[in-house]
Amino acid sequence: MTVAAARLAGCAHCGLAIPAGRTEFCCIGCEVVYGAIARHGLGKFYDLRETPAPAHTTTRTYAELDDPAFERVHVRRQGALATAALYLEDLRCTACVWLVESSPTCVPGLGQVRLDLGRSRVDVEWDPATCKLSQIAQHLDRIGHAVHPYRGFDRDRQHRVEDRRLLTRIGVAGAALGNLMLLAVALYAGLFEDMSVGDTTGFRWASMLVAVPALGYAATPFFRTALGALRSRRLHLDLPLSIGIAAGLIWGSANTIRGVGEIYFDSLSMLVFLLLVARFVVLRHQRRASTAAELLLALTPSRARRVDPSTGVSTDVPVEALLPDDVVIVLVGETIPVDGVVTRGTSAIDLGLLSGESRPVDVGFGARVHAGTVNVAAPLEIMVTATGEATRVGALVASIDALAQRRAPIERLVDRIAGRFVAIVTLVAAVTFVAWSAAISLGVGAEHAMALLVVTCPCALALATPLAVTIALGRAARRGVLIKGADALERMATPGVMFVDKTGTLTEGKLAVVSWRGDLDAAPLAAALEAGSNHPIARALTAYVPPAEGTPTNVNEQLGRGMSGSIGPHRVVVGAPSWVATQCHPGSQLDTWVDDLATRGQTPIAIAVDGRLVAVAGIADPIRPDAAAAVHALEQLGWNVRILSGDDDRVVQVVGAELGLLPASCRGGITPEGKTAAVLAAKVDHPVVMVGDGVNDAAAMAAATAGIAVSGSAEVAIEAADIYLRDPAIGTIVDVARGARDTLATIRRNLRWSLVYNLLAGTLAVTGLIHPLIAAIVMPFSSLTVLASSLRSRAFGGRR
Amino acid sequence: MTTMYVVLVLALLGAAGAVFAFVWVVRSGQLDDVDTPPRRILFDD
Repeated sequence: MTVAAARLAGCAHCGLAIPAGRTEFCCIGCEVVYGAIARHGLGKFYDLRETPAPAHTTTRTYAELDDPAFERVHVRRQGALATAALYLEDLRCTACVWLVESSPTCVPGLGQVRLDLGRSRVDVEWDPATCKLSQIAQHLDRIGHAVHPYRGFDRDRQHRVEDRRLLTRIGVAGAALGNLMLLAVALYAGLFEDMSVGDTTGFRWASMLVAVPALGYAATPFFRTALGALRSRRLHLDLPLSIGIAAGLIWGSANTIRGVGEIYFDSLSMLVFLLLVARFVVLRHQRRASTAAELLLALTPSRARRVDPSTGVSTDVPVEALLPDDVVIVLVGETIPVDGVVTRGTSAIDLGLLSGESRPVDVGFGARVHAGTVNVAAPLEIMVTATGEATRVGALVASIDALAQRRAPIERLVDRIAGRFVAIVTLVAAVTFVAWSAAISLGVGAEHAMALLVVTCPCALALATPLAVTIALGRAARRGVLIKGADALERMATPGVMFVDKTGTLTEGKLAVVSWRGDLDAAPLAAALEAGSNHPIARALTAYVPPAEGTPTNVNEQLGRGMSGSIGPHRVVVGAPSWVATQCHPGSQLDTWVDDLATRGQTPIAIAVDGRLVAVAGIADPIRPDAAAAVHALEQLGWNVRILSGDDDRVVQVVGAELGLLPASCRGGITPEGKTAAVLAAKVDHPVVMVGDGVNDAAAMAAATAGIAVSGSAEVAIEAADIYLRDPAIGTIVDVARGARDTLATIRRNLRWSLVYNLLAGTLAVTGLIHPLIAAIVMPFSSLTVLASSLRSRAFGGRR
Repeated sequence: MTTMYVVLVLALLGAAGAVFAFVWVVRSGQLDDVDTPPRRILFDD
């Protein structure tokens, strides 16, 4: 039987396959967003969209945004209008900008809406007399962008100051570069055209008056880092750069005042300008990290339904207002907002976010539940024990920050080279000075030694890494791989141990029927019976085949056991084999089937029709189709792939065996804390990469040499990771590993080229053959060589 | 050649003006967000 194979058209919103039981859309999110877009006549969204993706919405009312407490902190009044900044989820492309900024036509009373894509921040302006902030938030939610209060103000302010200062320096260096070039061209032309001595002197003075203040200001960051490195006795690339720049400025000024000798102001300004631009580009790539407080916000709801103990009526309150021993009610499908103890109701809880376990856990009176987990079966009343940062997930998130900060910066290849470079150049300069002084005069000695320091200033060396990495990052982003830190690629370049979380990474991350023993004709009956339940196992059965006709009657759902009911003339019982066996004549095959499925790591679900056991379904989280090939390719590249999962160890072993991994490499039943410990232990000997998708992996990702989050990951995992794969194909990890290796190869090639240049220019300087015109041509030329070399890099499919 | 010096001073003054204009642009925040505006010009309304 084929499962809804005829649905080829795909979801009307995102184009993904439509699961059985749904008609036009793949999920409720897409349906809501499609409806909202159509209702407001915003169909142009689909023309502007670059990459279709499933939409997510919530059913939140956002009533907490109208709370006076929220208003005091986040809302500014300007005359009759109010303004606030909000954080939006799922912002991707031009179409999102357009859709969000079209909101004023949809919500009466909403004024200007400005979106900042890089910060996921939207500034809204509205008339409080006509509409409320909660209505604006609801609208944004229905068009697919869940709303959170914006908390990044302090970080933004600090970044803005840094960015503006660097941009100003770039502007000053650029203006100095342009003008010094003009003066230099006149001077070089004068060499061949008989310029009078007086005019030459005038132009040299003009050059100096422009260069010294402009470059002195623009190059301050290099001087500052170099001084810091000297003080802490570390090696840093800025040290040789600063020596070169400072030597050039001082010696050029001295020669201007003396009226003889060379000035290098034009070459120096080019160098400073290029270096600043490279630094700015790298800085902008590193601006993605977030703070723990924001992560927590994205993970757990910001409001809860508090139950008044005397009246039993529930009201929406901000989570911050909850106190221990308050009781909150959590409806089906909602995320639990607090840590607490169940006081009323029985339900099943999806712990996926916290533990990575693929099967929901049944809870009843007195069970401990944690914030961030999802209530999937029935409403629960929970007595609060901890909120916010005091919750288990809060502690986990806080540990991510601490671990990421503790992660030692890798010793960058280029800094190591810079160290040797400084030593060699200083030594050669000293020898040059002594030799020429002895042979001719002190003046000539100083001239040649200074020329050496200036022309060997390692501009190309400084550009070698940022150029190669920035080009690789840009190409990777176009292929759906978002790499955060510039050094993440360098971290990934040496193969070591790769820990992979199972759920949602190697597997699909949701339950499905993967095998069937017995009579397949019973499947539509089981599907029809289970259609009314929200339990994930019920949903897997419903999605397996189109349900039989007819509404189930006399339905009885027993938590942790199963369901029974009548479909037309048939009496159907579906559930745990031990329970179903008590409801029917089990037959001889039940135990065989159940044992068979259990050894395959599947959850057996028995189905009885009219008092006779007819079939057993095997429920599991299916392995992604490309997982085995990806694991194999990674091992070919030299990685040691291992599974580290919170799921049941038997399930993990089965998955590992199917992917061709040794049993010793696969470990199940591991807590988030255990994952971190395993990563730290392995990190002693090898570089460790952690691949995962959930909050339970986030701390381990932060502890690893590099962390990779796969498509559909929890926000916190994305934030903790260095690399995020937007494409659900696990095979993309292979691309990343290869891309990292190729990028490092490019960096090495760049370094070789720039060292060859330095050797050449250095030889000319030492022998006294260097000429400022040669320096002016060769210095930028070496930088161009590095640029060309980076552009033709193979990393991420640059050169096919 | 005297003209040259006059022009030189004028040119440098012009350059200084351009630098001040750029500093003003940066300070006024026009370059704070460089991701969104290039997309915004794609909307034709």
